[in-house]
Amino acid sequence: MTSNSSLPTIWSAQNIRTALQTFFVAIFFAALLSISPARAQIGPDKRELNVVATLVAESQQVQAGQSVTLAFVMTPKPTWHGYWENPGDAGIGMSFDWNLPDGVTAGKAQYPVPDTLLISGIMNYIYKGDYAVLVNLVVSERVKPGPLPISVKSEWLACTDEVCVPERDELSINLQVVGPDAAVSLNNAFNDYREALPRQLGSAATFMVKDDLFRLSIPFPENIDVESPYFFIKEDGIVDYAAPQKVNRDGDRLIIETAARGDELQNISGVLKIGPKMGLSLKASAGDVEMSGVPIGGGSSGNFIGGGDQSSASLLFIALGGAIVGGLLLNLMPCVFPILSLKAISLAKAGGEEGIVRRDALAYTAGVVVVATALGALLLALRASGAAVGWAFQLQDPRIIFVLLALVTAIGLNLAGLFELPNINIGNKLADKDGPAGSFWTGALAAFVATPCTGPFMAAALGATIVLPPIAALIIFAGLGVGLALPFLLIAFVPAIRDRLPKPGAWLDSFRKAMAIPMFLTSIGLIWLLGRQIGEDGLALSLIFLLLVALILWWFGGGQIKGLSRGMVTTGALIAAVMGGIMFLPDEEAMETQRAATASAATLPSEPFSEARLSELRAANQPVFAYFTADWCITCKANEAAAVQRQETADAFAAANVAVLMGDWTRPDPAISKFLEKHGRAGVPLYLYYAPGEEPVILPQILTVGTLTDLVT
Amino acid sequence: MFHKSALASLAAVATISIAMPLAAAQKNGAIAQDFKLTDMYGKTVQLSDFRGKTVVMEWHNPGCPFVVKHYDSGNMQATQAAARKQDVVWLTINSGAKGKQGHMNGPEAQKLVKQQDMSASHYLLDAKGIVGKAYAAKTTPHMYIVDGSGKLVYQGGIDNKPTANKADIKGARNHVTAALNELKAGKQISVAQSRPYGCSVKYAS
Repeated sequence: MTSNSSLPTIWSAQNIRTALQTFFVAIFFAALLSISPARAQIGPDKRELNVVATLVAESQQVQAGQSVTLAFVMTPKPTWHGYWENPGDAGIGMSFDWNLPDGVTAGKAQYPVPDTLLISGIMNYIYKGDYAVLVNLVVSERVKPGPLPISVKSEWLACTDEVCVPERDELSINLQVVGPDAAVSLNNAFNDYREALPRQLGSAATFMVKDDLFRLSIPFPENIDVESPYFFIKEDGIVDYAAPQKVNRDGDRLIIETAARGDELQNISGVLKIGPKMGLSLKASAGDVEMSGVPIGGGSSGNFIGGGDQSSASLLFIALGGAIVGGLLLNLMPCVFPILSLKAISLAKAGGEEGIVRRDALAYTAGVVVVATALGALLLALRASGAAVGWAFQLQDPRIIFVLLALVTAIGLNLAGLFELPNINIGNKLADKDGPAGSFWTGALAAFVATPCTGPFMAAALGATIVLPPIAALIIFAGLGVGLALPFLLIAFVPAIRDRLPKPGAWLDSFRKAMAIPMFLTSIGLIWLLGRQIGEDGLALSLIFLLLVALILWWFGGGQIKGLSRGMVTTGALIAAVMGGIMFLPDEEAMETQRAATASAATLPSEPFSEARLSELRAANQPVFAYFTADWCITCKANEAAAVQRQETADAFAAANVAVLMGDWTRPDPAISKFLEKHGRAGVPLYLYYAPGEEPVILPQILTVGTLTDLVT
Repeated sequence: MFHKSALASLAAVATISIAMPLAAAQKNGAIAQDFKLTDMYGKTVQLSDFRGKTVVMEWHNPGCPFVVKHYDSGNMQATQAAARKQDVVWLTINSGAKGKQGHMNGPEAQKLVKQQDMSASHYLLDAKGIVGKAYAAKTTPHMYIVDGSGKLVYQGGIDNKPTANKADIKGARNHVTAALNELKAGKQISVAQSRPYGCSVKYAS
């Protein structure tokens, strides 16, 4: 108050203080305004938010009687996070206080799949990066065209690992109600928002709370991969959030066990996270749940109790045993047996030369093990890259089948005596002067050819490779190879067995020719497989090439009888024929269509679903049956087996000229998500029947043949 | 002799909480886990010393916006004063670890208690989080009530409006006041468990 003396004396001290305060406050605000105008705009009582919310509409225009999706796009600053609807031990979910015009109603907020964050034993269910919470607004029929102002007061909690700040904002957006014929343009960002939402699991789960344990049994197809699954429960007070979740897999079920907290409910709901961005939303009702099946190894997240070294090791031993027995059984398969028997004969031919026999057997074993392990490694690599592949995946590629077909047929022709192989070091060198390299390649060939013959023992062993760490998985693949090579190792290293083998003689030639039969049977099997993949036209072309290969070999064999060497020409011609054959195989796209066609050709053929195709069919006054399914949906698969893919259904639909559209929702597909949403479903299955010129009928979720055939009769 | 048993029970608390952090959540109806902590004056306070009286435990962190909601509005102080009037012992416990938000030492706590006009019987320091973890205290505030026989009869939030907005206090059901009144009237506590809300307790990891 040094300026006191210069002020007029009629001002009381109180007045001066007030005046000065006002002055300084004014300067302060002026400074604030000039420094950060944006801050001043949002008003003095709003701080800068740590998790900023922006309200976005999927379309600015909305038609009366329709709905429009709004997104709260949340952008946390680095190190900050927002909360899921059930925040876990601490934290708070989002709240919405809508201010909506008459005739407009807001639906329930839909949250993306959350993450876990465990801080000193306190579990938080959070979002670290940007995320979007979706809400559907329904505009009733009676709302007149014109502006539609929407505003919402929302509160949420923004936290770092250290501090929390409750935040709130009033957000508004101005939509426009337009006539039924007006164009509505959509914001594509909503496709991504929808993809992040959990998808509805069609089937119901069961849960049990007993002895301080919470157990949940979820129907989940056996053949779908899951990475460190985690169950986010919506209801509070049921489970101990921070307790680890043990997950077992038992056939078509996932069973989750964790510590229970208390109050028993009859129904619960939640989200099962099965991948980094993938979750299934589910409901569960009370019932008995046993902890059965095999534990899924805990991931790196640290939230899971792994199977433990003990059980992992015993699983490895059991699987390894299965693999060796499986490999042993493979020796009896029609595709392997001929190669084998000839190998055995060639060992027998070596007579008493112990050293050579052992060397060959070891080389053969090496060939088998190397190829089995390499195929396994390739399988693991493909799996890791996200491709859904199983053992014998190489048979999903028609080019490989084609080469295999040529090879097997050539071996068959060779066995039949059409030609003799000269001494070149390629795969099927079965004749005289068999060196270790020849044995190695024979082994490699046997392993490669054997893979389609996965026996029952191997199924379990190969299944185990999914849950075991990669090194252990590779050991199992190697074990498979050892099993396959085992008979030869025994022949080579146990003279007693070798002594019992028949001595080579005239009978050997007949035996060799007889062995051509299983080889040709294998060819037929491969032709059938190829036909399913590339269709009849592609197959006919392939067979012509195969005939060409046979003719070339015949010509080569003819030359051998006359003592002519046609080796170079033959090799060149064979390579050219095979390459040509591969080139003429249909391309990926054609195969995809063919695959789709063959998949349903058995019973009820369908086209892939698209809204465009649907309206086209509707415009043509054709009845349409549209169904939506996913590989992970058990109800869908059950319905397909019991009702959809049935001859009666197919016949009835064909008679009534019903077009069938199939929407596959196995992978995220925003177009299908949106269509499902429009029909009030967030999940599959959904079955719709469109009679010409009528509103669609939503069919029950459990179908029978009768339900479907009644539609058209 | 008494001293020995107190040490033993403190050791038991430590063992339980170290062996199974947060898994040893206390159950309503069970005898509340005994503990011993130093208050803001360095005096030792033991839960079992209050046998015969009702005890309220409040988990506290002055930096937490949800705690601020209830102190700035005077709601928590009023709840404390009403409880004290009924001869209830009120223990405010700070389990914030050193270096984390809301951690207090004795003199800091004394200053805060005076400044905010708090009416707690004791302000207890639990920087190691041993008692907090034994009670599975997750949030600030997180409230517990132990009856005269030493049984835990309430655990959960201060009220049923999980926001940081002072305006929401009016119209909220104060679970602690309600439970204390029911207890005094010899009635069954109607809401014996609720969801605590607030910031997470800033434990040392």
